[in-house]
Amino acid sequence: MNEKNLIDFRKIKQAILDEPIPMHMKNWFYALGVTPFILFIFQVLTGILLTIYYVPSPELAYKSVKYITEEVRLGFWIRGLHRWGSNLMVVAVFLHMVRVFFTRAYRRPRELNWIIGVLMFFITLGLCFTGYSLIYDQLSYWATTVGTNMIKEIPIFGSLFLHLLRGGEIVSVNTLTRFFNLHVIFLPTSLLMLIALHIILVRVHGVSQLEGIEDDEVYKFYPEHVYHGAIIALFLLTVMSALTVVLPPGIGEPADPNVTPLHIKPEWYFFAIYFVLKYVPLKLGITLMLIFLIIMTFWPFIDELLRKKFPQVKWHYILGSIVILLFLIFTVYETVSY
Amino acid sequence: MKKETRREFLVNLIMGGGILSAFVLFIFNIAKYIYPKLGAPTFRKVVIAKADEIELGQVKEVRFGDQILYLANINGKYKVFSSICTHLGCRVRWEENNQRFFCPCHHAVFDKDGKVLSGPPPRPLDEFKVDVEGRFVYMWVEEKKSWGII
Amino acid sequence: MDKNELRTQKLLIGIFSILLTVVLVIVAGVEAKKSTETKPVIEVTGVNKRCVSCHTEKGIAVKAIDQWKESQHAIKNIGCIDCHKAEKGDFDAFYCPDSDILVGRHPTPKDCAECHQQQVEEFAQSKHAHQFWIIKNDDRSIFEPTITTRHGCEQCHNISIVWPDKSVGECDACHPKHTFSRAVARQPETCGECHIGPDHPHIEIYLESKHGNIFRAKEKQMNLNYASKDLKKIPIEVPTCATCHMDGNETQPSTHNVSARLAWESQAAWSYRTVWLQDKLGDWTIKRARMEAICKSCHAPEFVETYFLTADLVNLQYNELRRVFVYWVKKLNKNGLIKELEANGKKYSDVVLNGWDEEPEHLMYHAWHHEGRRFRHGAIMMGADYTQWHGIWELQNDLVELIRWAAEHGDPEAKQWVNSRHPSKFMPYPIYDIPGNAWGINPLANKVPFLYVNYDDYWDRVYQNVKYAYEKGLLSEKQWQLWLKRYNNKEHYLGTKYNADSVYNYYLQLNAIDTKAMNEQVVNMQLPGKPFYQPRPGVIAGPSEKVIKQQLGRKEEKYSPESGTK
Repeated sequence: MNEKNLIDFRKIKQAILDEPIPMHMKNWFYALGVTPFILFIFQVLTGILLTIYYVPSPELAYKSVKYITEEVRLGFWIRGLHRWGSNLMVVAVFLHMVRVFFTRAYRRPRELNWIIGVLMFFITLGLCFTGYSLIYDQLSYWATTVGTNMIKEIPIFGSLFLHLLRGGEIVSVNTLTRFFNLHVIFLPTSLLMLIALHIILVRVHGVSQLEGIEDDEVYKFYPEHVYHGAIIALFLLTVMSALTVVLPPGIGEPADPNVTPLHIKPEWYFFAIYFVLKYVPLKLGITLMLIFLIIMTFWPFIDELLRKKFPQVKWHYILGSIVILLFLIFTVYETVSY
Repeated sequence: MKKETRREFLVNLIMGGGILSAFVLFIFNIAKYIYPKLGAPTFRKVVIAKADEIELGQVKEVRFGDQILYLANINGKYKVFSSICTHLGCRVRWEENNQRFFCPCHHAVFDKDGKVLSGPPPRPLDEFKVDVEGRFVYMWVEEKKSWGII
Repeated sequence: MDKNELRTQKLLIGIFSILLTVVLVIVAGVEAKKSTETKPVIEVTGVNKRCVSCHTEKGIAVKAIDQWKESQHAIKNIGCIDCHKAEKGDFDAFYCPDSDILVGRHPTPKDCAECHQQQVEEFAQSKHAHQFWIIKNDDRSIFEPTITTRHGCEQCHNISIVWPDKSVGECDACHPKHTFSRAVARQPETCGECHIGPDHPHIEIYLESKHGNIFRAKEKQMNLNYASKDLKKIPIEVPTCATCHMDGNETQPSTHNVSARLAWESQAAWSYRTVWLQDKLGDWTIKRARMEAICKSCHAPEFVETYFLTADLVNLQYNELRRVFVYWVKKLNKNGLIKELEANGKKYSDVVLNGWDEEPEHLMYHAWHHEGRRFRHGAIMMGADYTQWHGIWELQNDLVELIRWAAEHGDPEAKQWVNSRHPSKFMPYPIYDIPGNAWGINPLANKVPFLYVNYDDYWDRVYQNVKYAYEKGLLSEKQWQLWLKRYNNKEHYLGTKYNADSVYNYYLQLNAIDTKAMNEQVVNMQLPGKPFYQPRPGVIAGPSEKVIKQQLGRKEEKYSPESGTK
């Protein structure tokens, strides 16, 4: 509709808003790319609001989080949105990757964008990990201690990385300020730049067509696709706000470096890693993880090579299903065995 | 431009109204989060002096925490004055020989009762509520808010 | 672009916006639960600031400062120097070595009285402030070295210290410095610091009582930090020591005079009605009425009165026991069988109070100072075990041993007692009693006792004794009437007019089965392996004669008086 009207817009706007979108994108499943972006914006907004009260020092971090949660008006809401947002972001990024993976949307010429995406996935996890440790209650403190300790097992550079990250031998005030910096400055900025790059590359390459089904029919980015995004944003905000009331963010005992609590567990999205590391030697586990990361990062090229050798086998289906299945099994097992 | 049908108008109205209300409320909630909770102040009674510590007509400097205050016995009634000048917040001093409070910043002068004698201050010195119980002079101070930081 | 599709999307946006609005309204309405307790911010003022910062820096008595910050004093702006102030020449004045501040080392009740005048005065009029232990202390001082007294007697009895500034008492004995916590003062263990042990096991008696048991069970839910002024209701479920002896309720003002509610001098060798400051505090009936007023916060009046009447009769009964003890030791003393200690014309070790070196004196002392008090105090504070096993049983035992000792040492009257085969010989004293008890009606208990069964005039004799005590003023008019009410309706209160034999018979049958089982299992059996000791002369089972001789020889060497004194 209103085509005449739009044509009158300047060219730059035309490039942004009139981007042709293939018809298959009308399926909600293909809106998973915009979901993490919306959540990222929420996280930035609520994150900025949290820094108004948060104090990154070992004595006050816990107290200020408690203060936000229990004393500040609607503090539980802002903190709840941030917390739920982080969880949903992991889910959304994961689902987006699954979709891209199974539709082989990473195939030439989009290999670079896949690599950027994988990088963003790691940054997201990094944000979650650093954010969790900022709470500075018992669970958060010990999750940080255990989590960073794993870095030591990285071959050759382990201790170097560990000391760099912790700013000392143990989790201390230096760790907290470093993590605070990572969480509010370095990682979000990196993520923002990568998101920009990611979107620009999508625009440059155009939205990928489904393999084998070339639909010529297209629709415009605006208004329909924008409406898609708006609906998702509203839906997420509604659900997350409701969740903050039903399941408000909690806070445990203040961190005590002298007492390790009985049950320490990472956040649920690290359960699978946690599971693997429990049952194989630490060195082996870390090495396996590194190998997995390398394969994952360079999958588009590996996939290409494999296809040339075995054109009949759908490697991405097999490998993807196995990884997802294992991830789910490990996660569920850890959740249940808790 | 085509004329909007009634249905379309209704849809636009729902959408516009909804977005507007959600947006306003969203911003309002965030503003509420940012704005500090002030609440009505609560007061606590503290001992500031013994009644026999100060003679009739005398003015004496007393301290509570970091505040310098002046306790005056005016015709048997006790008063506690803040030493903050009501003009621009400098510290007033009690001058025993002149029997007056004097503010060096703009030469304001208050009498023993806290009233402005000369100078720019718009109102008398601030007073604290005072109670006398038995042999003690109590003063009501505002309870400081803390979340355990101090 | 499909118009319908777009419209659907717009509608979706609208619906979600409205939904979000609703959720946001709900969010705004939810107040998060508040668990943080805001503590008052303590301002440290003037001189105190110097004390606090220097002490903190030097690490001297820092905990005292933390404690002070928890106190009501800190909240009300009462700082270090307000209590530790001193004037030159004060007995405890010294210059703080790192400043020019004159400090009083021992704040005394005189300092406390600056604000808590009423409490200090009340305390000074209580027996807590009475230095009675010094009056007869010369008797005790011959038996225990002084150094033990320093950290023994004196530590507790310091509560009645008379300071050089002539003020009396030690407020922080109960209100620990520097929190001066009411809650700690009310904790039973605070009283139990001193009211404990063989001579006055009051904390043990309390914890044995229903009061103590409930307190322990629900201690965590109770906040003992309440103010007890202004005729307010007692806010806790069961009393601690302080509740009955000091706290106020709707009818009683609170008091720091623990003697204001006591009717007996039952710590003394004889139980007698208190005359302590009776011109100020009233006679014993008024003091008792104060105590009863507290009891009646929770209990029915008749229960309270019956309970106390019974306890009072226990106290009176004790006097009759003591009369026998006194009779015997005086007689033994007169006949020269036991002697008092003497130096420079002054006698030590009063035979009826504090004798240390002869068996009868020893029994005498225990019978009043230990067992006698346990018997009486257990009865008045619901410590059944202390009235019974740690009380009367021990007392009777002391009495039997005393008379037996007299018989062994040739007293003919005592010999006659020892040889007597009459079951009433254990009660060579008049009897007090009351029909039944405060707890209920027991149709069985009163059918068995020897005296009831064998003396038709049992209750006549008891009646005469109780009446006499009443006429002597040891029981009040009201108590006498209460006693008479029971006396005139004894069959009811004793339960004898009721018949529960059918139920009793059932338990008798069970008992017969028990007894039979005991007999079958263990009574009639003899083990086949012989014991090693055979009670025949000349035969020693076990180590050889030689070895034993050696051992005996060494023992003799060790304890021979020559080697001891050389």
